[in-house]
Amino acid sequence: MRRRVVGAVSGIAGAMFLAGCATNAPQDTWQPKGPNAQIIDDLQKPVFAVAGIIGVIVTVAVLVAVFKFRDKGQPIPHQSHGNPALEITLTIIPALILTVVGVFTFRTVFDLAKTSDTEMIINVTGQQWWWEYDYPVQSEYGITQPIITSGQLVIPAGTKVLLRQTSRDVIHSYWIPALNGKRDAVPGRVHLNRIEADKPGIYAGQCTEFCGLSHANMRMEAVALSKADFAKWVANQLKPYTPPAENTLAKEGETVFMNQCVRCHQVNGMKRADGTPVIAAPDENIVSGAAPNLSHLMSRNTFAGATFDLLNKSCREDVWTADSESFGAKYLSGVSEDCLNQKDLRGWLRNAPAMKPMYANPALLTSTGGKYRGMPNLGLTEADIEKLVAYLLTLK
Amino acid sequence: MAIIERSITTTEAFSVATPSTSLGALKRPVSSTGWKSWLFTVDHKKLGIMYSAAALFFFIVGGLEAVLIRLQLAAPNGKVLNADLYNQMFTMHATTMVFLFVMPMAAGLANYFIPLQIGARDVAFPRMNAFSFWAFLFGGIFLNLAWFLGGAADGGWFMYAPNSGPIFSPSHGIDFWALGLQITGIASLVGAVNLITTVLNMRAPGMSLMRMPIFTWMQLVVQFLLLFAVPVITVALFLLSFQRNFGATFFDVAAGADPLLWQHLFWIFGHPEVYILILPSFGIISEVLPVFSRKPLFGYPFVVFSGAAIGFVGWGVWAHHMFASGLGPVSVAVFSISTMAIAVPTGVKIVNWTMTIWGGKLQFTVAMKFAVGLIVLFTIGGLSGVTHSIAPSDTQQTDTYYIVAHFHYVLFGGAIFGLFSGFYYWWPKVFGKLLNEKLGTWNFWLMLIGMNMTFGPMHILGLQGQPRRMYQWTEARAGEGFFNLGFWNTFASIGSLVLTIGVLLFLINIVITARNGKVAPLDPWDARSLEWMTTNPPKEHNFDSIPTVSHLDEFFHRKYEEDANGQMVKVKSAEQVMKELEDNADAHIHMPSPSYWPIVIAAGLPVIAFGVIYSIPIAIFGGVIVLFGSYGWAIEPSTAPDDDFDPPVTTKDVVHVG
Repeated sequence: MRRRVVGAVSGIAGAMFLAGCATNAPQDTWQPKGPNAQIIDDLQKPVFAVAGIIGVIVTVAVLVAVFKFRDKGQPIPHQSHGNPALEITLTIIPALILTVVGVFTFRTVFDLAKTSDTEMIINVTGQQWWWEYDYPVQSEYGITQPIITSGQLVIPAGTKVLLRQTSRDVIHSYWIPALNGKRDAVPGRVHLNRIEADKPGIYAGQCTEFCGLSHANMRMEAVALSKADFAKWVANQLKPYTPPAENTLAKEGETVFMNQCVRCHQVNGMKRADGTPVIAAPDENIVSGAAPNLSHLMSRNTFAGATFDLLNKSCREDVWTADSESFGAKYLSGVSEDCLNQKDLRGWLRNAPAMKPMYANPALLTSTGGKYRGMPNLGLTEADIEKLVAYLLTLK
Repeated sequence: MAIIERSITTTEAFSVATPSTSLGALKRPVSSTGWKSWLFTVDHKKLGIMYSAAALFFFIVGGLEAVLIRLQLAAPNGKVLNADLYNQMFTMHATTMVFLFVMPMAAGLANYFIPLQIGARDVAFPRMNAFSFWAFLFGGIFLNLAWFLGGAADGGWFMYAPNSGPIFSPSHGIDFWALGLQITGIASLVGAVNLITTVLNMRAPGMSLMRMPIFTWMQLVVQFLLLFAVPVITVALFLLSFQRNFGATFFDVAAGADPLLWQHLFWIFGHPEVYILILPSFGIISEVLPVFSRKPLFGYPFVVFSGAAIGFVGWGVWAHHMFASGLGPVSVAVFSISTMAIAVPTGVKIVNWTMTIWGGKLQFTVAMKFAVGLIVLFTIGGLSGVTHSIAPSDTQQTDTYYIVAHFHYVLFGGAIFGLFSGFYYWWPKVFGKLLNEKLGTWNFWLMLIGMNMTFGPMHILGLQGQPRRMYQWTEARAGEGFFNLGFWNTFASIGSLVLTIGVLLFLINIVITARNGKVAPLDPWDARSLEWMTTNPPKEHNFDSIPTVSHLDEFFHRKYEEDANGQMVKVKSAEQVMKELEDNADAHIHMPSPSYWPIVIAAGLPVIAFGVIYSIPIAIFGGVIVLFGSYGWAIEPSTAPDDDFDPPVTTKDVVHVG
């Protein structure tokens, strides 16, 4: 009888818990979409079940005692000081349960640490408050020159990818719940984090080590593409720079970019009128010494540490909700003028610190020797912003 | 004040012999009433009250910070606080609750009740006790001064390097934090030495360690934990202060440092700290449950040794806070297993409490309600703790709201429920009046419901991917459906208001009780341990004569005996037991004299800290105050003339403390 009550109560509690959850939460830790997250899930589900059952047993025992032994005028109970046999039994049982759990945990820890069968390497570097993804040359994937990008981590689906993580300033933590648990990115150290996505799609994540003012605005999106689509993505990233046509708004925008943005942001292959290469100097201006490389900006769906969408709402929905077959093509179409999230991009160019808290106020730079953390307010005119948007749209 | 005299033959009230002038070049204070009697007191009971009152004040401060946090997170893209203020708020909420509420509240109760429970008249080092209190208070105030001097600490209570460095946190907040905690750390260390000495040396005759009340036992474990843990954080805080104030490079990666050093130091302190917070409450409910079950604590030796075992194993689990830090699989696996191991002694306690009430004669006073509440709430928190001792699942859970849920069940449902149980249980002992039980029942239920509404949904929020320490959450990551993360965030915020009302009722209860509370009878709960074998509130010297102890639960066994049928029957009333003690009263009881110097030395510490931040000459001035105070401390005479000291013929006649 009691066992049936316990079973029923735990069933109801479990059902209530599940019914009380959000559906399709992008960062749900109980929805693994790749083998590493799956291994963790397989290990933890039984532990949650056992913990739930023990919780129910203790609660029921306490409640039974509360109702059964309430003072109804019964005599003072026998002053028994305990029951060592019972006590020892109830010590050994949890110890045995935990021993079993411990054995499986031990094995899983080492399974998850395995890196010997890695198929692809990406260097991931955190800094306040965005991630840089740097693909070393791996010709089997068509990566014949290094690719440096940010905003979205693009990986081939069904491929064991090793992230080599570090940081340029404070400690950050890389976490795509659907693909694996989190791993800290620590300055001065390289930490390995293996991920693999079963299917093409977008998997959301968030920096989970407190990293200062805009910690909440340091997001991640991992984009898994089919192998064929990934090859197309690589080819696009390696496409050489094509300057905007003369006498266009975009061309004027390129000039604004060269006068302002290039102090920190690199666009690969950009050249001045005299043919000299335009090289960004973020070390001079930023504490972390890096700013997002903006080559092929419009091939990404997000900007400013994946805080804002480059796609407007409806276009974004279209990509996020696509099934895994049509996803690749939609993602690779990038950001067209019609789909551009004009509001946020213009707002960002107008006054970045107002949109994402950063110590970008020149009055607060004494402790950093004049260097910024994050993008300052550049004081651009509306005309300049107009030109810049036109230019950025050419960075396909 | 110094000497309490009573001739053995008379039955008159005690006369307290207070010299109108004290002796010596540096006189000692003599007033036994008014504010001076509090400022310069060395009485463990007055200090205990002041500790607890200050802790309660900081509880309100930390609670308001929590409410602001929940208001900010009630809706997406919250605008109540900006990012900077939010970061300060959660840093200071945790710092305040851990260092300025739970720790000093437990210290206050330890101060007040350890001497009473072991049948002593004061602690071993009364002046050091006073110094501990003032150092804690001044440290706590100093820490919070940062709010008014350019912003409070903003690096999280864990203060991970290098984010705590001057580049990433240019305000003085972290300077105040590090130095303020350094001062409260001195208070904890001095207090630990004092209480360990007291417990080991000053127990009543016959009170062997295994006859010692369980609250005192758990506090003894806590004092040992403090003694070994506080030096670790002291070192870490010194490194941090030198890094920030004197350009050292302990955590500077460019200079070759490894920022994980801080994490190891912090958590080697930080994990024992968790047990420092919870064990006093374990002790409290291990007193309360037997009293209101009319049964001894089930398996007293198991509870004692599991407490001690937690104290030992608690040192070998710190890296479970760092499973995502990249320690490598060997360390992760080892710390994962050791963390599971600590669940066993903790489980033992839950079994013992449940078995204590099982078969009892239960009276649901408010104290008992909080104690029973603790068993269930702590079990929930303990079990979620087991789920993240599994290192791989912890990499999914750590730094999400699931952890926030876990430790609030353990610390709110555990530590704070235990403290509230203690408030209702011991209030009549301390103030001679009973807290209102009806209001207390409302207080309990609102706190229970509010706490579950606030922290229960955080399990879901965390498992569904909401990270901690984010000043805003966005609908883009909140999922779909009615019960999406937005719903639960709003729900938790409403819960925090219910919780606030619950705590408010406690404060109202204090005021009502102080104005026209019911005067407590001598033994309101039919209690079991020595602290109830004296008046409410206790006399200044605690006991007229020091009782000789022959049982665990001595007081109970003086009142009750087994009759021929094996039934426990009351053979003596509490009044009769008291009368026996009074009839055998000691003739001369020497109590320690008050002193100016503890508060003076303690006042010098924040001046030094202030100087470290702003200007070295100020620090030197603070150092001079401490030096002057120490000198005064060393040479101050006793208030009482020397010839007043009777030679201690037997310890029964003359007991001299301090």
